[in-house]
This record gives sequence, structure tokens and C-alpha cells, in this order.
Amino acid sequence: MLKILFFGRLSDVAGAERMDIASHASITTITMLRDHLGQGNEALLRALNEPQVMVALNQILVDWDCNLQPGDEVAFLPPVTGG
Amino acid sequence: MTTVIRIQHEDFNLQQEYDRLRAIGGPGAIVTFSGLVRDFNRGDSEAAAAVETLTLQHYPGMTEKLLGEIVEQAEGRWTVNGITVIHRIGELRPSDQIVLVAVSAAHRQEAFAAAEFLMDYLKTRATFWKKISAGGATQWVDMNAVDVDAAARWQQAQGAESEQASNRKQSGE
Repeated sequence: MLKILFFGRLSDVAGAERMDIASHASITTITMLRDHLGQGNEALLRALNEPQVMVALNQILVDWDCNLQPGDEVAFLPPVTGG
Repeated sequence: MTTVIRIQHEDFNLQQEYDRLRAIGGPGAIVTFSGLVRDFNRGDSEAAAAVETLTLQHYPGMTEKLLGEIVEQAEGRWTVNGITVIHRIGELRPSDQIVLVAVSAAHRQEAFAAAEFLMDYLKTRATFWKKISAGGATQWVDMNAVDVDAAARWQQAQGAESEQASNRKQSGE
């Protein structure tokens, strides 16, 4: 299983703040996960593809080609606006 | 060195936090910065609408870790005795306190610089997101380019510092 988290405007586009999906042999990288999530949700795919969107794997910022393992937590982060 | 990092729904008491830093000792200077909820919405095209609420979301676990890293960087760059960072989450209203950064140091220059660095990095790196409810509409706040520039100048400053250091080395100072 993969735990997916969406923050900020991305949660609106995804329609959820959290999504659990079954691990799948065809989803081995974050880029593949993004494309999987974007299937049937063109707006989400567009939003995740925006250049400012960052991705965290188990709460560490990583590159999109990073490999996934069952049990991983993947968070999609739009530009931050705290302070 | 005493570090306090808190993420909380409840308000904070500036005097209390100041007193705690003062009690640590190593005195000279304490700089405190508090950020408040603005009462107008800096909209892209429409006229400013009165803000009803500001909701702050964050990434539990990761935010604490990132704030810890930012504080560590500040400690590495300036000699400080104490750093306090408090950030509120949840639903806030205009003029509510959002964030507190307080730095205690032997001298004011270091306290001012560290506090400013902490705020600039917090705004551009810590995983918080603001949603504004104004004029009956709700929208997520966009990152401000001014904040990005403000954070970037610390990297340039650090580059200049290390360049100076290597120049000194080369000239045998």
C-alpha cells in the first residue's frame, strides 16, 4: 500500500487530502505514481505537473524519479505560504 | 543554546516567550518578530476584499523537521543563545497572531540577522499553506515572489562570506 497526501490547492483538485492505493508492480517511481493518479483526472495531472510542485517521500524532499516501496508515504506539496 | 519549536492551534503570549528567553542568560539582545493576519486580501485582479478567516494547514512531522533544520542553519551562521519559533495552525481571524520568531544573542546584529533569516526561510521552506476566506469566496494563497527573493539573498550572502574567507586564506591573512 502507498499513502498519498495532497496539500494546499492540490487537495481540492484531488478531491481528498489523503488517498491510500494498493502497491502495484507498474508503479515503481513517483513519476509513475503521478501518471497513475492523473488517469481520469486531467486537472490533477496538470496540477501535479506544475513546475513549482515538490514531492516528499517519507517526509523528505526527493526527485520525481525516486523509487517507491510498499508502505511509502508520498506527499505532493504546492509552494508553501506560511509565516 | 536553547531551542523551542512549537506548532499549535492556541495563541501565544509574547511576554511569556520573551521572559523565557531572558531567563536563559547570555544577555545583550533579544529580537522578537510576530506576524499577524492581515485584514485585506492581496488579490490578483479584484479589489481587496475584507478577510473573514485565514486557515493554516501544515504537514505534521515534516514541518517540525524542516523548522528544526532552519533553526540549525541559523545556529550555524550566527552566535545565538536562544531561538524560539512558534507557528499557529487552524482557523484565524484578522489581527490574530500567526507566527513568532524570537532570538536571544550577545549582540543585536546577530539577533536581528538570525531572526530575519529564520522568517525568510520559514516563509519559503516550511510546509504551511494559507487559505483565505474573503468576500464570501475561499482561495489558497499564492507564494509571494518577494518572499522568494528575500530568502535567496541569504544564499548570496553566504556565498560572499565564504568567498571572503577563501580570499583571506589566499592572501595569507
